[in-house]
Amino acid sequence: MPVYFLVTEAGVPSISEGILWAILGIPVFAFLIIFGLRQRIPELTSGYISIGAIAATLVLSIVVLFNVIGADGGIAIHTHNWLSIGDFDFNLGVRVDGLTAIMLIVVTSVATLVQIYSQGYMHGDPGYRRYYAYMSLFATSMLGLVLADNLLMLFVFWELVGLSSYLLIGFWFHKPSAAAAAKKAFIVTRIGDLGLLAALLLIGTRASTFQIDAIHELVLAGTLAGTTLTLFGLGIFAGAVGKSAQFPLHVWLPDAMEGPTPVSALIHAATMVAAGVYLVARFFPIFEASPDAREVVAWVGAITVAIGALIALVQTDLKRVLAYSTISQLGYMMLALGVFGYGAAVFHLFTHAFFKALLFLGSGSVNHATNTFDMGKMGGLRHTMPITFITFLIGSLSLAGIFPLAGFFSKDEILAEAWIENRTLYGIAAIAAFLTALYMFRAIFLTFFGEYKGGEVVPEEDKNIHFDGIPSVPHESSRVMTIPLLILTIGAIGAGWLAFGRTFHEFVEAALPEPPHHVVPFSYGIAISSSVIALSGIATAWVIYQKKLIPASEIYKTAFPFARLFEHKFGFDWLYEKIFVTRVFQQSWNRLIEQFDTRVVDAVVNASGTIVLVFAQGVRVVQNGQVQLYGVVLGVGLIAIVIIVFIANPL
Amino acid sequence: MNPFELISPQLAILIGAGLILVYDAIFPKDNRYLPWMALAAIAVSVSFAISLAVRGEYHVGFEGTYSVDKFSVFFSVVFAGIGAAVVFASMNWVDRVGRRKSEYYALLLTATAGLMFLAGARDLITIFIALELSSIPQYILAGWGKDERSGESGLKYLLLGSIASALLLFGMALLYGLSGSTFVPEIATFIGENASDNRSLLILASTLIIAGFGFKMALVPFQMWVPDVYEGAPTPVAAFLSVGSKAAAFAVVLRIFFEGLNAEILSNDWAMIFAVLAAISMTVGNIFALVQSNIKRMLGYSSVAQAGNFAIGLAAIAVVGQEFTLAASAVLFFVVAYAFTNLAVFIAVIAISRHLESDDINAYEGLAKSAPLLALALGIALISLTGIPPSAGFWAKLYIFNAAAQADLAWLVIVAVLNSVLAAFYYLRIVRLMFRNVEDQIGSAPFAIPKSIGFVLGITVLGVLVFGFFPTPIISVAREAAAIFSIG
Repeated sequence: MPVYFLVTEAGVPSISEGILWAILGIPVFAFLIIFGLRQRIPELTSGYISIGAIAATLVLSIVVLFNVIGADGGIAIHTHNWLSIGDFDFNLGVRVDGLTAIMLIVVTSVATLVQIYSQGYMHGDPGYRRYYAYMSLFATSMLGLVLADNLLMLFVFWELVGLSSYLLIGFWFHKPSAAAAAKKAFIVTRIGDLGLLAALLLIGTRASTFQIDAIHELVLAGTLAGTTLTLFGLGIFAGAVGKSAQFPLHVWLPDAMEGPTPVSALIHAATMVAAGVYLVARFFPIFEASPDAREVVAWVGAITVAIGALIALVQTDLKRVLAYSTISQLGYMMLALGVFGYGAAVFHLFTHAFFKALLFLGSGSVNHATNTFDMGKMGGLRHTMPITFITFLIGSLSLAGIFPLAGFFSKDEILAEAWIENRTLYGIAAIAAFLTALYMFRAIFLTFFGEYKGGEVVPEEDKNIHFDGIPSVPHESSRVMTIPLLILTIGAIGAGWLAFGRTFHEFVEAALPEPPHHVVPFSYGIAISSSVIALSGIATAWVIYQKKLIPASEIYKTAFPFARLFEHKFGFDWLYEKIFVTRVFQQSWNRLIEQFDTRVVDAVVNASGTIVLVFAQGVRVVQNGQVQLYGVVLGVGLIAIVIIVFIANPL
Repeated sequence: MNPFELISPQLAILIGAGLILVYDAIFPKDNRYLPWMALAAIAVSVSFAISLAVRGEYHVGFEGTYSVDKFSVFFSVVFAGIGAAVVFASMNWVDRVGRRKSEYYALLLTATAGLMFLAGARDLITIFIALELSSIPQYILAGWGKDERSGESGLKYLLLGSIASALLLFGMALLYGLSGSTFVPEIATFIGENASDNRSLLILASTLIIAGFGFKMALVPFQMWVPDVYEGAPTPVAAFLSVGSKAAAFAVVLRIFFEGLNAEILSNDWAMIFAVLAAISMTVGNIFALVQSNIKRMLGYSSVAQAGNFAIGLAAIAVVGQEFTLAASAVLFFVVAYAFTNLAVFIAVIAISRHLESDDINAYEGLAKSAPLLALALGIALISLTGIPPSAGFWAKLYIFNAAAQADLAWLVIVAVLNSVLAAFYYLRIVRLMFRNVEDQIGSAPFAIPKSIGFVLGITVLGVLVFGFFPTPIISVAREAAAIFSIG
């Protein structure tokens, strides 16, 4: 019997390759079975198949994790030549190291919980089986993305992730807003993917390899340097900007909230949106070697942190608050990567996955009771939904960065990294930390405190879908939904403790080809100041939204221009829709297509029509011309060829 | 070695054809087994061909005029496979036509045997006879249908085919007159020594030969017959023409031009001809295909465009010079990928037209609802024709474009890529139509497809996908088969 915990060769995980492929393969099977049999299996069974598959991959991921721990975070790469064209090799391979192992755990554990939760949330939905089929497809794509050992394969799974995200955002495709959101997400992320594709082509032509380790070696050896390296880094980052909803491509993520809430929790909070951060972390040596690219990463991250937090302040929809918060937190991760904080970024990715998934699922639970996400229609839910309230509160405290919850440790580290590298960036991050606490507790006070405002009346046709209660009498959700909340709460509380002794960091840093640039020691100054910042944010929210010492409307009036700006999301959507979509695409592109249609297609149609008319006037029978004509064309063509050859290449 | 053993694959098929006729003469009432006899003959033939290859019996026989080498075995197996697929695809249709079934299968087998002879022929006379052996049955088959259009298309094909044969004979006669030999290696020796003195006549001869085979390949300007014949001929026969006959022409051209006419002074000229014809064929084929409303005519023009893609490989081989096995193997891989893909398309069209009783592309709307698997199969095949991964067609295009790029034919690659975009319009339009969600309309009732068609459609689509995911085995086989030219 194989003992996976034993390490045969020092520093190399001995995990058998089959297990890694199985992690990738099991959800594929679940997808194929559910999708292939759709109507032939009972609804619940489709859920069990999917949950069973993802749970199995969770178990295998834990095995992998322990194996990599046993190997002190060593790297194992199994690669197979798939196809060679000329000197170029296309490989299929899996890579496992500390970073991969952590990503596997995050993806499979959150996915397992979300899928269990979905049994309650999606109960009674006509697309139940389709939902689980897509969920399995997403799991496969995401796991393939983190396991891929080369950029090409990674890119393929990257696109598959985008596809499953598209399918799930537009899950309720009969809702025009959902269909539009799915399309928007797909197109906006595709803009970033163009950059990733450019990076792929660039590295293919310059380095003739897609292998991640080979690219890293080239960077370390200095073969890959200068402009090429910077462009490659920026291309990679462009992909990450799209997928991780960074400024200026962040606009798709809030709209993506049209999808089912468990989807938002899994894909648009914990895993897929973190794929961009993973990608930059995976190619971290490139950003280490290219100061220009790193600078861009840091500043884009910082701008995103600020924009996300400011817009989150004025949202009235609970889920959108969380969406902008996610944008902002992803910005923190990018910011960390931009200031050499590889470990801090991955750590924040790790802790964020738990508390943000928790918050999303909590919002779903609230939605289940009130039939709305509008915070103006909630209030006072702490009495009727105690478990949801407590878990949501812990998640918010964690997000705000309150000791000793998970978010405290990871956010603190990012602030510390920023402090060392660039004080301006630190300033932005610190102010945003204040805003984070403020908007989260604004949401909490509006949702769970005060008087209940009645929820949303259920339209007759939506009866029994995602809603099995009476909105005027909210109730706690069923256990299938609250238990995942409780489990995620454990992560939201304790995931940060891995920071002690740099356990987590040393583990993921072993995945880098070189030791980290610098190690930031724990700083009491940063820790205390960030705690003060967070607490003052909570206090401000308490003063405004609970005690109402300063009425929110007063602030709104005073800061009217700013509030308007935030409410209009800094005008990005307006800019994109009015300028790019309407002007550039709908008008110019339409004109182009129209011209193509009239000038080219119609011309060809008319010409071919004329030709037929001229040559075949009333003649469909063999004897009367066509064959002769064909023969003539053949002969004339032949003569033309001979003449052209002799003209082009005289004797 | 007994020379007849070298042509045992062809003999097996021809004997099978004879047996079919004899069986029908003895038991005229009982014709259920005829297609299975044809399939058995093909199976025996393939086993002979593979056994030749496995035993490493690569020989030249009949005084050098016929050669068994990796190249000819490769094509023999491909043609036999195409023949078998067409037999499967024909069963249902032949039953419905209901007359002279034995002759249909016998002719199909004879045509297949002719193609297999073409693959190994190394003498101009052998080549010509093999060509006629395959062509004449195809003329008859094209006119096999009951309606007038089929008869018309058969006659058209015959008349124009005869012109092409005549041109080919002129070219061959010129070559013979110059070199004093019809034997391809001897022509090669002659050209190696005297090419520059006779360049203009040699170019004329090359052009005439290109015209003769360009007709079979459906290259512009020798393509005029294609849409008419594809539309009029029975669809299984059109499938045979578009896949088998075309591939055979490419095989022979590889043999004649790269074994016989491969002197640098000459090869630049005919490579340029192929490059230009490739560009024109792709462009003309795609533009006309874009505006067709009849699916068979559209496939006809698509076949012209695909011939252009093949010809890219021919152009690339000559320019690369000694290193031409890359491009030759690209052509060979393209043959396999194209055979699977195009057979799948045609067979799906057979099944669909049979149900819809219409070849109108617009009638395909909403097909995914009434026949989801069929729509999926056709969709996959069309995606492969477009050249989208992961399909065999993608690798075929990538491979052949790569060969052209290595041969410094950047302009041709650009033309080809632009054409691929153009082609995507009309291929994917059908996919979109099929998967469009329409309210119940005519033909949207679920329908079953005959087992024989379902089987062979499954095999071909599987091939498209398997070679899409794992192209390496076929690529290495294609490389080995193309390696016979590397001595050149």
